[in-house]
Amino acid sequence: MKPLFAIVLLCLGAVFPAFAGLFKATEFTLDNGMQVVVIENHKAPLVKHMVWYKTGSVDEIRGKGGIAHLLEHLMFRGTKLVKKNEFNQKLDELGAEHNAFTSFDMTVYHQLADISKLEALMALEADRMQNLAFDREAFDAEQKIVYQERQQVVENNPAAAFNERFNLLLWGNSPYGQPITGQNDEIMALTYDDARDFYAQYYAPNNAILVLSGDIEPQLAQELAEKYYGKLPSVTIEREEPKEVKDVFKTSLEMSLPDIQAVKMVQKFLLPNYKNLTGTYFDYLVLAEYLGGGETSALYQDLVVEQEVALSVSVNYHYLTRGNSVFGISLRPNTDEAFNRTWYEQILNDSMAQAMNNLTTDELEKVKRKMTADLVYINDNPEDAAYWVGYALAVGFSLEDIEHFVEGIKNVTLEGVHKAYRQVELAAQVEGVLLPKQLQEDNQ
Amino acid sequence: MSRKNIRIYWGDYLWRLIIVALLLGGIFYYGPLFYARFQYLPIEQILASSPLKNRTFTATVQQIKGDNIKAYLLEEHANPIISISFAFQKAGVAHEPEDMLGLTTILSEMLTAGGADYDAKTFKDLCAEYGIKLEFATTADNFSGTLQFPKEFQEKAVELFRAALYEPQFDEAYLTLVKKRQLLALQLQKEQPAQLLADKFKQFVFAGHPYERNVLGTEESIGKINVADLESYRQEKLAQNNLLIGIAGDVTATETVQLLKQLFADLPIAAKTDELSPLEIEATGVKQAVSRQTAQNIARFATQGTFRNSVDFYPLYIVNYIFGESGLNSRLNKRIREQEGLTYGVYTYLVVKKAAALIEGAFSATPENFERAVEMLRQEWKRLGKEGISKQELAQAKEALIASYNLRFASTAGIADMLLAMQIYDLGIDFLQKRNDYINEVTLQAANAAAKKYFSAEPDLMYIGVVDTKEKK
Repeated sequence: MKPLFAIVLLCLGAVFPAFAGLFKATEFTLDNGMQVVVIENHKAPLVKHMVWYKTGSVDEIRGKGGIAHLLEHLMFRGTKLVKKNEFNQKLDELGAEHNAFTSFDMTVYHQLADISKLEALMALEADRMQNLAFDREAFDAEQKIVYQERQQVVENNPAAAFNERFNLLLWGNSPYGQPITGQNDEIMALTYDDARDFYAQYYAPNNAILVLSGDIEPQLAQELAEKYYGKLPSVTIEREEPKEVKDVFKTSLEMSLPDIQAVKMVQKFLLPNYKNLTGTYFDYLVLAEYLGGGETSALYQDLVVEQEVALSVSVNYHYLTRGNSVFGISLRPNTDEAFNRTWYEQILNDSMAQAMNNLTTDELEKVKRKMTADLVYINDNPEDAAYWVGYALAVGFSLEDIEHFVEGIKNVTLEGVHKAYRQVELAAQVEGVLLPKQLQEDNQ
Repeated sequence: MSRKNIRIYWGDYLWRLIIVALLLGGIFYYGPLFYARFQYLPIEQILASSPLKNRTFTATVQQIKGDNIKAYLLEEHANPIISISFAFQKAGVAHEPEDMLGLTTILSEMLTAGGADYDAKTFKDLCAEYGIKLEFATTADNFSGTLQFPKEFQEKAVELFRAALYEPQFDEAYLTLVKKRQLLALQLQKEQPAQLLADKFKQFVFAGHPYERNVLGTEESIGKINVADLESYRQEKLAQNNLLIGIAGDVTATETVQLLKQLFADLPIAAKTDELSPLEIEATGVKQAVSRQTAQNIARFATQGTFRNSVDFYPLYIVNYIFGESGLNSRLNKRIREQEGLTYGVYTYLVVKKAAALIEGAFSATPENFERAVEMLRQEWKRLGKEGISKQELAQAKEALIASYNLRFASTAGIADMLLAMQIYDLGIDFLQKRNDYINEVTLQAANAAAKKYFSAEPDLMYIGVVDTKEKK
């Protein structure tokens, strides 16, 4: 008994309580390289169980667009131990709400269930990490289903052609410019072997993060993680990280499409990855919030409330990515006359410049208070915390960075925000205008 | 002769050797695969031996009673936050004056656009700075709202809530903006085929009944609404006798009485409300089309369902779960999605309003798949009406619905919503204790009686997309 006890103690020693941060999460790594994060929340006997593979559509080979997403679907189509539809049936019997999603940088499988079912979820998820065994019939059906999914989610939107062309202009050759679903012809050309190869290449514990959020103690979580995931073999992950787009350009896209009812204007700016920014990503987050985070923001107050030239305007900054971070502005004009792009571009530029001139320390402090006040809710629903932490870890953040989010916001200075603004001005940018078919004909 | 008899025929042995070798090779090669057929994940054993199996949880709902105000409370002290969900009954879209459609959506925006001495910007800034979330919304039956705040800022939350509810500014300029935005929303609704269909489908199913109304109103009606209309609707419809409240979070029963008094005690006692006439859906398998050039056709379908407190409710609830509500494991998804890959997804769900109860569903499929998908939906529908469900399906559905019971306690805001729903549907204060029994008590006979009753007539269906010209009459 004694040696065994010592081993248990050693294991416990490996679980170190993290500093008191936003989530107060605990992290450890299994011997096979699988990263595990536990976020305790004991208010109800529930758990969010998520496995984040650090592989998404940007890791696809050119011409094989959609394989990451198709494989995500095939993960529900049976393993050596759990045949055909049994996976869905078992998850249903366990009373789990479950799903999966594929993004540019990651593919994620997740369930919310009663804590008493956690071990079964882990056994099933670990099984499909290693033993996936869909047959050709399932492959054929799932290929049709992902094709239907693209029609439903992308192509049925009358703005789809605009959105996809806009992304191509912005990203050029980068895989971030390609749709996550793949193109229609790419989807239909994918093969059974493509899916098997992608699975063999990327689905392994050392390319995955396990996030457990809910009624679970870190020590027990570690025992269970080792029991179910610890024995899976690691593989050598060979891939090229997506290259950062470094070109500097300014271009525009104007498109009129059938069924579009109202004009929309979008500007996007390509900035470096969050690791390579001038300043910190917090500077850009605060800048976006100040300029266009909701109805109290500077641009909204000026363009919507004061000047009445827009019905809405919003600004956001997307930094949780392995690629370039993106600063974006979106505006709905308030006009009954023909839309004039140059005029709106000018007024938007003037409004931003004015807002930057008006920014005081008091105003900055208020923006920062607004951004952090909301975080009192982040540890309420175990799902919210799991998504935030998982997403950030999957694109390369350390848990320490994530835990110190509030401090990061608080440390932002006026100077930092102004510097960030200058970087946005200098960045590669695309301006897009989507018009109703009729309106553009009027313009000509 | 004798020599000849003992002569060895190598040819014979060679064949035997080859056969034996093939057999051995086969066993070594295919054996593991053959063996794997009998391998399985011992889910039952895993669950039975799990140290997590015995975590118990009780959630006790308390009835709170003040003068004229009542509420359901669930105390939850893990996080210092409080969530309140409330609804003014018979004050939703179906109760708007006939010439002022869209009024309640406008009202929901205007109530948080400044109150007392705070203009819209100051009001919204204060909410954000203190982490106070106040939202109003409208549904077909009710005008509802949610208030969520950190316990330490309760005083500020009460102040802002009172400003919104009792002294809204209803600023003219802001109203103009809200109306313009609502007209834009109405336009954008027409952009998206799924949203356009949802609107048309309401008119199709609820033809002539107030439930057919668009929550945004119409271009004409939005233009007419003015400050006086908002003011009189607020005073007539938001009162204590049509108010239901669910509250959850870091608050005790005693504190709740005081808090609710501060929030709601100054409302008028009685609202001026009207009753909706009950509506039965007599579906006969009608199929209607909205023509539009889309990548996929989108279909919605509906038939008569049942009310929350009817004896048919739980039997139908389980039958519908098996048929179309259990995600990828549902009969419809297994047949139309999984087997043939015709659609990304198909689902059904029960709708219960004050004056109507429906079974509704939807799916979308590319035009070349569409008729086949409709046909399979019809087949599955008929099969359910005729043959019902199996004993095994019933047992599985019960297991699933009981195992997922605790999922409703994930968020404080979700708990407050649930407490409100328990009152809207009159489920009783002991609903949470009884809910699993309601599920367990459904017999195969009752389930199949419900299947027969509700799935015999085919649902009415409407779709948007590429219309098959052969069908045009």
